[in-house]
Amino acid sequence: MAIRAGVARLSIGVMFAVVVYLLPVVLVHSPYVLFALTLTLCYAIPAMALNLLLGYTGLVSLGHMGFAGIGAYVTAVLMKNGIAPFAPAIIAGTIVAGLVGVLVGIPCLRLRSHFFIIVTLAVGLILYLLFNNLDWLTGGAAGLPGIPRPGPINLGFAIIDPRRPLGFYFLAATIFLLVFIVQYALIYSDFGRSLAAIRQDETLAGSRGVDVFGHKLTIFALSAAIAGLGGGLQVEFLRAAAPQSYGFLENINLVLIVIVGGAGSLFGPTLGALLFIALPEMLRVADTYRMVLFGAALLALALFAPRGLWGLAVSGVRKLRGHHSALTHAGHP
Amino acid sequence: MEHRNILTAAVIAVLAGLGFSNGAAAADKTLDIGIVTARTGPLAAPGKFQLNGFQLAVDELNKTGVKIGGDTYQLALKVYDTHCNATEGASAMQRLANVDHVPVVLGEVCSPTAAAEAPVAADYSIPLILTVPTAPDLTKQGNSFLFRVNGDTDQLNKALAVYVAQHHWSPLSFIAWNNDAGRGGVNGMKTLLPKDIAIGYVGYFDVGAVDFSSDVTNIRKSGARAVMLFMDEEPGALAIRKIRDAGLDIQLVGTLAMGSDRFLKRLDPKYLDGMVQYSAFPPGAPTPRIQEFGKAYRAHFNEESHGFAAQSYDGLMLAVKAMQAAGTATDGAAIQKALSKLSYDGVIGHIQFDDKNQAHPPVYITQWCKDGKRKIDFPADMKSACGAG
Amino acid sequence: MGVTLTAFIEQVANGTMMGAIYVLVALGLVLIFGVMEVLNFAHGVIFAAGGYVCEVFFVHVIGSYPIAVVLTMLTLAIFGVALERAVFRRLRVNMPMQIVASLGLILMAENAAVLIFGPSALQLTVPSVRSLVRIGDLSFTIQHFVVIAVCVVAIAALQIFLQYTRLGTALRATSQNAEAARVIGIDADRIYQLTFATGCALAALGGALIGPLFLIFPQMGDLPLLKGLTAIVLGGMGSIPGAIIGGFAIGIIEAVSTLFIPTDYRDMVVFALLIAILLVRPWGLFGVRVRGDV
Repeated sequence: MAIRAGVARLSIGVMFAVVVYLLPVVLVHSPYVLFALTLTLCYAIPAMALNLLLGYTGLVSLGHMGFAGIGAYVTAVLMKNGIAPFAPAIIAGTIVAGLVGVLVGIPCLRLRSHFFIIVTLAVGLILYLLFNNLDWLTGGAAGLPGIPRPGPINLGFAIIDPRRPLGFYFLAATIFLLVFIVQYALIYSDFGRSLAAIRQDETLAGSRGVDVFGHKLTIFALSAAIAGLGGGLQVEFLRAAAPQSYGFLENINLVLIVIVGGAGSLFGPTLGALLFIALPEMLRVADTYRMVLFGAALLALALFAPRGLWGLAVSGVRKLRGHHSALTHAGHP
Repeated sequence: MEHRNILTAAVIAVLAGLGFSNGAAAADKTLDIGIVTARTGPLAAPGKFQLNGFQLAVDELNKTGVKIGGDTYQLALKVYDTHCNATEGASAMQRLANVDHVPVVLGEVCSPTAAAEAPVAADYSIPLILTVPTAPDLTKQGNSFLFRVNGDTDQLNKALAVYVAQHHWSPLSFIAWNNDAGRGGVNGMKTLLPKDIAIGYVGYFDVGAVDFSSDVTNIRKSGARAVMLFMDEEPGALAIRKIRDAGLDIQLVGTLAMGSDRFLKRLDPKYLDGMVQYSAFPPGAPTPRIQEFGKAYRAHFNEESHGFAAQSYDGLMLAVKAMQAAGTATDGAAIQKALSKLSYDGVIGHIQFDDKNQAHPPVYITQWCKDGKRKIDFPADMKSACGAG
Repeated sequence: MGVTLTAFIEQVANGTMMGAIYVLVALGLVLIFGVMEVLNFAHGVIFAAGGYVCEVFFVHVIGSYPIAVVLTMLTLAIFGVALERAVFRRLRVNMPMQIVASLGLILMAENAAVLIFGPSALQLTVPSVRSLVRIGDLSFTIQHFVVIAVCVVAIAALQIFLQYTRLGTALRATSQNAEAARVIGIDADRIYQLTFATGCALAALGGALIGPLFLIFPQMGDLPLLKGLTAIVLGGMGSIPGAIIGGFAIGIIEAVSTLFIPTDYRDMVVFALLIAILLVRPWGLFGVRVRGDV
């Protein structure tokens, strides 16, 4: 049974990867949609990072874009000044973000629920302030313009040029799928099961021998590192770094992406990112009312889809199945 | 009978309003011009002036239609709100390029957002003409499709730095917005001032957090001779009132839009006496082009004009001139070439792009006299008496 | 030395005034949290709405500032009840969705304000409170003292309400144990509505008081919300005296710190303080330490 489930999961995974890579072929005539999809992939990575924390471990971090910012600025400064090419630069960004995650996590992870939320909010705001004020390091409030894209990557059978939209999409898609695999591997491992136990009841998990603090710190650091990876990718995509991208509203935005998409599910963060990129863009036709409508949509979602979009989809499928079986089982409604 | 006539007249009026009876307009094609600006968010107020400037230009040009390469066009603005967000800026540019197919984009308020928009402009060969952002680095990235009509902070500050040095206003303290305009201004000023001008207290505040009490305390404590205010008129009025109410009689040095009568709506003129500011656009100057623009703006929007509106007006006018010179309303690369060679006399003065696509419009220094009048103090050949500044 | 002492006194005075505003925000937050366990992130836009509504009342309805303020409090109290019934009632146990709903509200409110009032900030000019009071070298506007006085009155009124009225006692009972309160016949739903109404009225009062001093703009509640959150954490999450002490403390610390560190790091002082409190003594000055909670 377990092997069949594993094979099933593998085939779904491969299909998913194929879909992701083939999408641009379908969309070759819509560079705007390709842009929106690339942006979605960039935002899905920090979302998946936060999902590991929020959805699977039950820790709500309102400052996670701060780690994305660390990754972004490290990558940006290294690449803009020609100190390192893309791969080392973005890896450096990921590592630094992870290290800061450890530094932040050690004191803060002792706190629970409301307190943890507030302390992460404060950390995120402090990081934003540093990005904005340290002119000599980060370019300050004016940001860093002119960040170069990675050069062409020779795969042997093809050359991928990230300086062009299609090439960057493939790069982003590859990194996205890698993170997805990491997410998957973490969740379905023993480590992941311990996390779920911690989410449900920390004290109980501790009393059954789980190193609660160690697990929390590890996942927090990993989550920070992956957020940093996402930040580095984002900043390479936009070719400019701006401190406002890591401010109060952006932090809340990320939490929303995860919750609205469906926290604690594999596809939730991606779905959420898709919605949060696609919906405001579609609403551009009503430009002045755009944000009001978007806010109303969020409110409606909170009230009527408390398990997020993924939860809505799942329960919708269930209802359809249930309806179907009620029909085939000729009997009572 | 009368009812029928009135009804018919009403129907015709409605149809006319819908444009069906406007013979000239029906024959012209519509040309969309892309605009990126801030319509919401903390910098929505400067964004409004920017948009008004574009609108004024479009309305003026549409009276006769615009002839480009054999066709006559009615201009329309395709406006996207980027609310000073880098991601939004890139998305808006992408949409303008791929969905709306505009030949040229103008505007933007915030420098980091412009930094995200510029590469997209180059990707699709669509000139992006900035009319407000002031970060000097923007035009130093080698992007041939990015143009800037307004002066950057260094250009704006240079004249003021000389003025401050001449008057020996040392120590000089600062209160600045904690954003690209404010921080950039302070950093730029620090490098431009000569060594004998001491830098005193530097206070930053978030856009919107207008509690200046601590700044006033610190300025008094530091014994500054003058204070430079890097912010626009809304917080500026509050800061000046706070400084003067606290009994600090120091020299005020303003920036951005502090040289306009709009300031008088927020402040008693006695607070302003003696204040000096740089200006890209002194609304009271006797020059005909400035006076005409001021009148046209007031007629259209029922309020006093603003430097950002003048810069934007000129930006759109010269974009049209470039399209006419290139003979195309669709070929961005040709328009870019035409822009780089263009020499244009606008409301803000002579506009010509250097090898980095940066224009060097004139910068003035105006001073407030008693009772709410202003005079121009720099450049020397434009010095004027009170009431003409 | 004389200059520094004056500076210090000036900043303490300024800090007390801003502290009074933070206290009003904090009181609203701590009431709603204490009784309903809801962290109302939309509290900041209620504060801003207070400013806008007060301006509308003062300029277009009635030229009396005090009456405009009272009307503002009533209006936002009613709005608070509506908010509780329409939104927060359903989300009482769903913390993540509370955050979603709060942000939805923030986005709607801040952008609707631009649509209704335009992009420029509003200025609430109340001539009677603009005049200056000079004390030695320093000068303050009358509004400065009005803010502190009104805050003190509000605190007193709240205390009287909570301690000496039936409704207030019912509210305190519900905050201690909702189940038990229901058992003895208290209508918890009514209490929740009342709590939200009071909390919103207090926030609106803050916005209306700060109007004549500064500018009225859509994001004006964002920072007070964060400072208010810090205040209730400092004071203890369910404690009203804590919120009061916390609010004034934050205001004064923030103001005095600007004498020593650059102002662009002023907010960082408050946030660093917040982190420090949470690490050292998360239940705050007056809070109750719950075993297993930390």
